[in-house]
Amino acid sequence: MELLSDSIKKEYIQLRVSAKNREEAVRKAAEPLLVDGCITNQYIQKIIEIMKETGPYIVITKAVALPHAPSKYGANKLGIGITTLEQPVVFGNEVNDPVSYLFCLSAPDSDSHLESTAELVGLLDNERFYKILDNAKDPEEILQFIKEEEQKGENEHA
Amino acid sequence: MHKALVACRAGVGSSLMLKIKVNEVINANHLPITVEHSSLDAVPGFDGDLLITLTDVAEELRAKKVKQTVIGIANIVDKKEILSKLTDFLNDANETQL
Repeated sequence: MELLSDSIKKEYIQLRVSAKNREEAVRKAAEPLLVDGCITNQYIQKIIEIMKETGPYIVITKAVALPHAPSKYGANKLGIGITTLEQPVVFGNEVNDPVSYLFCLSAPDSDSHLESTAELVGLLDNERFYKILDNAKDPEEILQFIKEEEQKGENEHA
Repeated sequence: MHKALVACRAGVGSSLMLKIKVNEVINANHLPITVEHSSLDAVPGFDGDLLITLTDVAEELRAKKVKQTVIGIANIVDKKEILSKLTDFLNDANETQL
């Protein structure tokens, strides 16, 4: 079981990216995972295909999208990317639009990402996390914050 | 005890997150519901009485006239929304039994 900080590399974090529309936002959010071999082009294609067919299924809470597709379409290695947008983009989700934060998820099987996904959903409920995302000048600051939160979690369990 | 399936299109991302949040609400309020999660492919074979999904998927499932009650959650981390929708489901289920 990998921690969230094991699933996110510094190169997977992109700050204040510009995107004209939701498709461009998803493509850019997925790019680092593609470059590092976590996902294939087909995987990105599948996310966009499902989004076009069925609407913005990946927008899960206020301003947050979680681009992902079923593992079989090319999720080869566990990875989670973090992308913040310079300008929010409308995805077509009535309640949660517009989107400013994208967490691209590659989950190659049904187990390895359980711990990191649980951590991520906790962070999505944490106002300080959004502040860090908005104000970080360097991806390292975000990784550092995630590690600190993990440390706290461990202490609470101890 | 009611049995619920949390389903999303892929079965690996949003359904897992939603299951975590739903379980937090269930445990905090001692609701008589057990939860599993999967992709939409598992819906036809599911023998429980409640389906929990994101809003857009919920509409699709209702259109298909699945036999279970369908709850659509708009905001995954909004525990108030989750609690109120689960409570509505439990109240309706009790009325049916009486």
